[in-house]
Amino acid sequence: MASKRSTIAPKHKGDKWGLLYVSPFFVIFGIFGLLPILFTVYVSFFHWDPLAGHNFIGLENFRNLFTDPYFYRAVRNTFSIFLISFLPQTVLALLLANFLANPHLKGKVFWRTVLLVPWVTSILSVAIIFSELFGQNYGMVNVAMRYLGLSHLGIHNINWVGQTIPSHIAIASMIIYRNLGYASLIYLASMLAIPRDLYESASLDGASKLQQFRYVTIPQLKNTLTFMLIVGTIGGLQTFLEPLTYGGVQGGDSRQFSTLALYLYEQIIINNKLGYAAAIGVAITILTVIISGVNFFVTRRISGSDS
Amino acid sequence: MVRAKLAKYWVAGVAVLSLLGGVIAPNSQAAAPITLSIWTYGNVIDPVLVAQYEKLHPGITIVAKKSDLDGNAQALRYALPSSAVPDIAAIEISYMGEFRNYTQYLTDLATLTPSASTLKANYLSWRWNDMVADSGQVLGIPTDVGGLAVAYRVDLFKKAGLPTAPAAVSALWPTWDQYIATGKKYVAKEKGKAFIDIAQTIYTAVVNQGSQKYYDNSGNLVYSSNPNIQAAFNYTAAASQAGLGTNVAQYSPDWNVGLNKGLYATVLAPAWMLEYIKQYAPKTAGLWNIATLPGSAGNQGGSALTIPTHAAHPQEAWDFIRWYTSAAQQKFEFIHNLTFPTVTALYSDPAVGGLKDSFFNNAPVGKIYSDSVNAVQPFELGKKDRLIDSTIGQALSRVQLGKQLPQAAWTQAMSDINRAIN
Repeated sequence: MASKRSTIAPKHKGDKWGLLYVSPFFVIFGIFGLLPILFTVYVSFFHWDPLAGHNFIGLENFRNLFTDPYFYRAVRNTFSIFLISFLPQTVLALLLANFLANPHLKGKVFWRTVLLVPWVTSILSVAIIFSELFGQNYGMVNVAMRYLGLSHLGIHNINWVGQTIPSHIAIASMIIYRNLGYASLIYLASMLAIPRDLYESASLDGASKLQQFRYVTIPQLKNTLTFMLIVGTIGGLQTFLEPLTYGGVQGGDSRQFSTLALYLYEQIIINNKLGYAAAIGVAITILTVIISGVNFFVTRRISGSDS
Repeated sequence: MVRAKLAKYWVAGVAVLSLLGGVIAPNSQAAAPITLSIWTYGNVIDPVLVAQYEKLHPGITIVAKKSDLDGNAQALRYALPSSAVPDIAAIEISYMGEFRNYTQYLTDLATLTPSASTLKANYLSWRWNDMVADSGQVLGIPTDVGGLAVAYRVDLFKKAGLPTAPAAVSALWPTWDQYIATGKKYVAKEKGKAFIDIAQTIYTAVVNQGSQKYYDNSGNLVYSSNPNIQAAFNYTAAASQAGLGTNVAQYSPDWNVGLNKGLYATVLAPAWMLEYIKQYAPKTAGLWNIATLPGSAGNQGGSALTIPTHAAHPQEAWDFIRWYTSAAQQKFEFIHNLTFPTVTALYSDPAVGGLKDSFFNNAPVGKIYSDSVNAVQPFELGKKDRLIDSTIGQALSRVQLGKQLPQAAWTQAMSDINRAIN
């Protein structure tokens, strides 16, 4: 008995000290993370105007949300923009990373630094430049298409703001521009961690470069790919500054590029309905949790079948 | 030796202290240094004038925080009930209908010394009343007023066989119907060109010519029944459907290029937009002239300066506002930024009412804009002006892009507004 107690006591003591050491994170998270989330949930039960005051309305904001066609449109736009940006971005990033992983490449540090330049560029200036590129009458994209003779195919003077899919492509291109370098570097890091003997034995077996990429590199990157998918979906659900700067707070005349976060912002800034905005915030949180859960489950299944 | 050195320091120290005392003494009589904070947007607050004020009033430092129009209003909504308020807040006309209801959060300027009511006679009366609460408190002093006229390209009019002299051009369109008819003739002749930059700007112009907007005088919403709103919508839709305008957004980079390339024959221009045209299309100097708006009266935009109730330095803020909105400073701003004054005495001042601008072929801009703001009829501003404006704006854009027919766009706008305000 006595010996048992003596082994437990110091362990407990150690736990307490450990808690003290990690407490700064929990205190800061509590104040800046948890508290705002709880307050958002609280506000979502009110009709809330910062000047006129607020009154409790129970679940009415959520009832309105479920019947709000523009909320569903924002969900659609958010996922559409995510897919249009994430899929090409992944392909491009893998190709770029593969190129940079080439051991004979000269000026490695230079290329890796250049890749990160868009990542540190302000989203605002990116959006302004891209609005210029995608202008309907004088934008470079439309002008280039005219020179390429695409007008003969019936594609000409595309309205990159007014139409749904073109506007999604324009916004997705901004997101790709910003994220591409970062994603490439992540893939590059895990590519460099792949044991070289795998490639050596593959080439001994007569595999071409393309086959090596397909059958050695890609399978070895599975964990990184799932990580990027999870981080990407969470980021995609929060797409905000690009559409806002590109075409205003309402996301276009038929809300063709109003994302969830933008719709939330519109409720605050134009409609002055903080309670409703909070309800949208809660919905975004729930969506994020569900999607992360699905991602996590799928990842577990994949890594499970692996072993 | 050491002692002598110490003595030297001692003497020097006393000398410095007495010097400091000499400097401090007269200052302690004057007011302690004060920092006045201003929340603003756009070019409501001119930095040159601010620097001038600081020079005239040593001890006062002015810090202006600039956001965009909507962001500024939103920040104020949060700040006003708290103590974290600026000393001065600028409010745009589309938000005045909301903020002037909150007499508990904005200072009644009539209670300050000297009382704002002694200034009332100096200002354009309908703009003054925009920031007067229903219960009579004066909550803001108008800094500027938009005014509205038609800037047109003389060279393009000549090419299309239209008259080019301002009086003759104004005579082409005493009414909006005639403006649209002229536009149809123009686009039939000049393929691929636009008669107006953005057809949707017609809407605001027509709405502001009415004696009622979205609210009646007792504050009831009348946006769906007011015939002038319907008329404004129909004129705009007609212009869009006739292909008079382009699909781009105003002030976008693409719009700027069109301005430079002479894509638009006319632009409905508030006074402050003339300065924008000068800056962004400098090569078009001398190609423009200015005609009166169909229906003559016109306004777009304008701001007022207010003092939050919880401001730290209300008296100093009031001193600044009185100086900043006085005739001399408004005159300076008109000459330098073309923001049109609200002090009516300036309309007959040769430097303002008589101002001609060489960029616009020596058009009498002073006279044109003072006539347009003088003819405006006052109407009741309301809490949801901004929301209704932008929702109807979306509908008109759908008509312009051919996504919807006018009737369907109108119906959807009405239900969108209904959903958003409830």
